[in-house]
Amino acid sequence: MRSLLLAVLAAYVVAAIHSVLAFVNKRKALQRVSDWAMAAGFVLHLTALIADWVIDGHYPLFYLRETLSFLAWTLVGSYALVRYRYGALALGSFTLPLVTILVFMAIIVKSTSDATLESSGFSASWLFPVHTTLLLFAYAAFFVVFVASVMYLLQERELKLKTFTAIFHRLPSLTTVNEIATSAAAIGLALLTVGIATGMVWSSSRDGLLWHNDPKEIFALLTWLLYFLLIVYRSTARWRGRSAAWMGVLGFALVLCTFFGARFMGGYHVFG
Amino acid sequence: MSIVLVGVNHKTAPVEVRELLAFSEQACAEGLRTLVDGEVLREGLIVSTCNRVEILTAASSERLKEGRERITDFLSESRSLPREVLGEHLYSHTEDQAVRHVFRVASSLDSMVVGEPQVLGQVRRAYSIALEAGTAGRVLNRLIHQAFRVAKRVRSETGIAANAVSISYMAVELGKKIFGSLKGQSVLLLGAGEMAELSARHLINAGVSRVLIANRTGDSSERLAKEFGGEAVSFDRLADYLPEADIVVCSTGAGEYVVTAAMAHEALNRRRNRPAFFIDISVPRNLDPAIGQLPNAFVFDIDDLESVVSSNIREREREAERAELIVDSEVMQFQQSLRVMDIGPAIGALRRRLQDMARSEMARQRNRLGPLTPEQESAIEQLLISTVNKISHPLMDRMRRSYDVDADNLQAWREIFDLDDPPHNK
Repeated sequence: MRSLLLAVLAAYVVAAIHSVLAFVNKRKALQRVSDWAMAAGFVLHLTALIADWVIDGHYPLFYLRETLSFLAWTLVGSYALVRYRYGALALGSFTLPLVTILVFMAIIVKSTSDATLESSGFSASWLFPVHTTLLLFAYAAFFVVFVASVMYLLQERELKLKTFTAIFHRLPSLTTVNEIATSAAAIGLALLTVGIATGMVWSSSRDGLLWHNDPKEIFALLTWLLYFLLIVYRSTARWRGRSAAWMGVLGFALVLCTFFGARFMGGYHVFG
Repeated sequence: MSIVLVGVNHKTAPVEVRELLAFSEQACAEGLRTLVDGEVLREGLIVSTCNRVEILTAASSERLKEGRERITDFLSESRSLPREVLGEHLYSHTEDQAVRHVFRVASSLDSMVVGEPQVLGQVRRAYSIALEAGTAGRVLNRLIHQAFRVAKRVRSETGIAANAVSISYMAVELGKKIFGSLKGQSVLLLGAGEMAELSARHLINAGVSRVLIANRTGDSSERLAKEFGGEAVSFDRLADYLPEADIVVCSTGAGEYVVTAAMAHEALNRRRNRPAFFIDISVPRNLDPAIGQLPNAFVFDIDDLESVVSSNIREREREAERAELIVDSEVMQFQQSLRVMDIGPAIGALRRRLQDMARSEMARQRNRLGPLTPEQESAIEQLLISTVNKISHPLMDRMRRSYDVDADNLQAWREIFDLDDPPHNK
C-alpha cells in the first residue's frame, strides 16, 4: 500500500534524523522523539506488510520492492531487540538512515521483470515465504554484526591511539559491542542455516534438485562458511577483539553479494 | 529592593588575595550581623570557598550605590585590606547580572572545574548561616531556592558533570569504556601512593569485586589489603597473579619496568585473550609501553590520563554552553517573579487608581457645583484626595502587614483590586 508506505517513510525519516542528532548532541529529548517515531513507523510498516499480503494475495516478499521494504522492517526489529537487550543507542544512528533509504527505494522501484508470482509457480508452497523470511532476518542479524564490529574498531582505535574525539564519548563499551556482535553472529548463522535448508527442501520439491550452482547460492554458502568460522574463531578464546571485528565487516560484504547476487549475475534465483 | 553582589573569584584574584579575604563560618555570621543594617542593606549572605569570596545582599533600591560602597568598606575593614588593593580584584553585579551570577555559581559554571559538585553544598551552607544570623529575608530566600532549582536542572539536563575530570577517577571511566560494567572485575594494585589508592577506592565503589595488592614492602600491602577488603600477594610472584587481573594500577617507584611486554603477553594468553587494562601512574614509567601493542591490552600512562581529562573538560565546556541557556531562561523567570513580589509598585498602583477615581468623580459632578474660583477648585480637589488617602491609608497598612507575614498574600491583594499584573509564574 503505497500511501501507507509513505507514512512509514516519514516516520523513519524523523526517527533517523533525531537518532543522528541525539548521537551528536547527546540529548535525551531527541532520543525520545526518535524512539517514538521509530515505534510508530514499525507498527505502520507491519500494518502495510499485512495489508499487502491480504490485498495482493501473496506473502509480501517476492518482488524487489517487497524485499527492500521487508528488509527495512527486519532491520528496525533487530535494532529494537538490541536496544532492549543492551541499550546501545549508537546502533540506531547507523541503522535508521539505512532503513529510511531502503523504504525510499521500495517506494520508487518499479518491477522490471515480466515474471509474476503465479507464473513462476511459487504460490503453492509455504516453504518459499519461510525460506525468504528467515534469510532476511539473517541478513538483518549480520548487519547488526557489521555495525557492532565497526563500532568496536572505532572505539578500540581511540583507546589504542589515545585520541579522544567526540566519537569516544558516544560509543558504547568494547565489551558491549563485542557481546552484540557475538550474539548477533550466532543468531544470524542459525537463521541462515535453517533458511538455506528450507530453500533446499523447497527447491527439491519443485524440480528435484538441492543445488543449482547459481551465484546467490554460492555466495550464501560462502557467507555461511565465514560466519561459521567467525563463531568457531571466537569460541577458541575468551575474547577475539580486532580480528573478529574485521571478519564481521568482511562478512557483511559477502552478505551484500548474496543479497544482490541474483540481480547482477543471473542464475536460478532470478524471479522478479 | 535590589540585589547587589560584590566579591572576588579565582579569575579576578590570585589565591594570596583570596585567602586574605576568606571568612570562617563564625566570621560569616558575625560579619553578616554587622553588615546588614536593615536600611541600606536589608538582607545578606556570604559565600567563602577556595574559589571565591562573595557577598550577596538585598539592598534598598534608592540607595543602591551606597549599599555597594558599604559592602566594599566592610570587606576592606573586616579583612584589613586597603581599598586600592581590593579594588583591583573586586567585581560587583546588580539586579539581573547579580541573579545570573548567583545561578551560574550554584550550577558550577563559574567554578575552576566546570561541573564540580562541591559548590552547591557550599552555597547551601552559606545560606543556612545567613538564616541563623537572621540576615536572609524574602528576597534572598526566593533567590537561593531558585538557584538550587537551577543547579539541579543544569546537572540533570546537561552533561556538565557527566565525565570525570580527576585522574584517579579515570581508572573507572576508562575501565567502563573497555569492560562495560566493572562488577565482578579484579584489580591488581602494584605499589602504593595516594593517587593509586584513590583509584583503587573509586574502582571498588564502581563494583570491582576482587582487589590484589602487591608491594615490595609487605606491611603496606597488609594495611591496604585490610582497608580495601582485598588480598595481599607477594611481589615476587607477580607473574602468577597477572593473568587474574583485569585492571592493573601501577604506582611503584622502581627504576625499571615492573611488568614487561613479555610478561603481559604471557598473562594475556593465560587469560585467553580477555582484555587487560593497565594504568601506570609512576614516573619514570614502570609498565612497559610496548604492552599497548599487544592485542586487547590497553596501557595508559600519566600523560594519557591527562589527555582524557582534557578531552572531558572540553566536553564539559560544550555542555556548559547549553547550561548557560538554561540559566538565561531562569534569570528571566526570576525577574518576573521578583517584580510581582515587590509591594511598592502594588501600593503605588492602588493609590493612583483611587486618586484617579476621585478625580474622575470630581469631573463628573463639576457642573453641579457652578462657577468656582481657582482657590475653591484646588481646595475641593485637595479635599477629595485627602479623603481618599485617609480611607486608603489603613488599607495599605494592612496590605503591608499581610505582605510581611507572607509575601504570597500580595497576589491576593492584586487580584482583589484588579491591579495591572505583568504575567508571572506562581
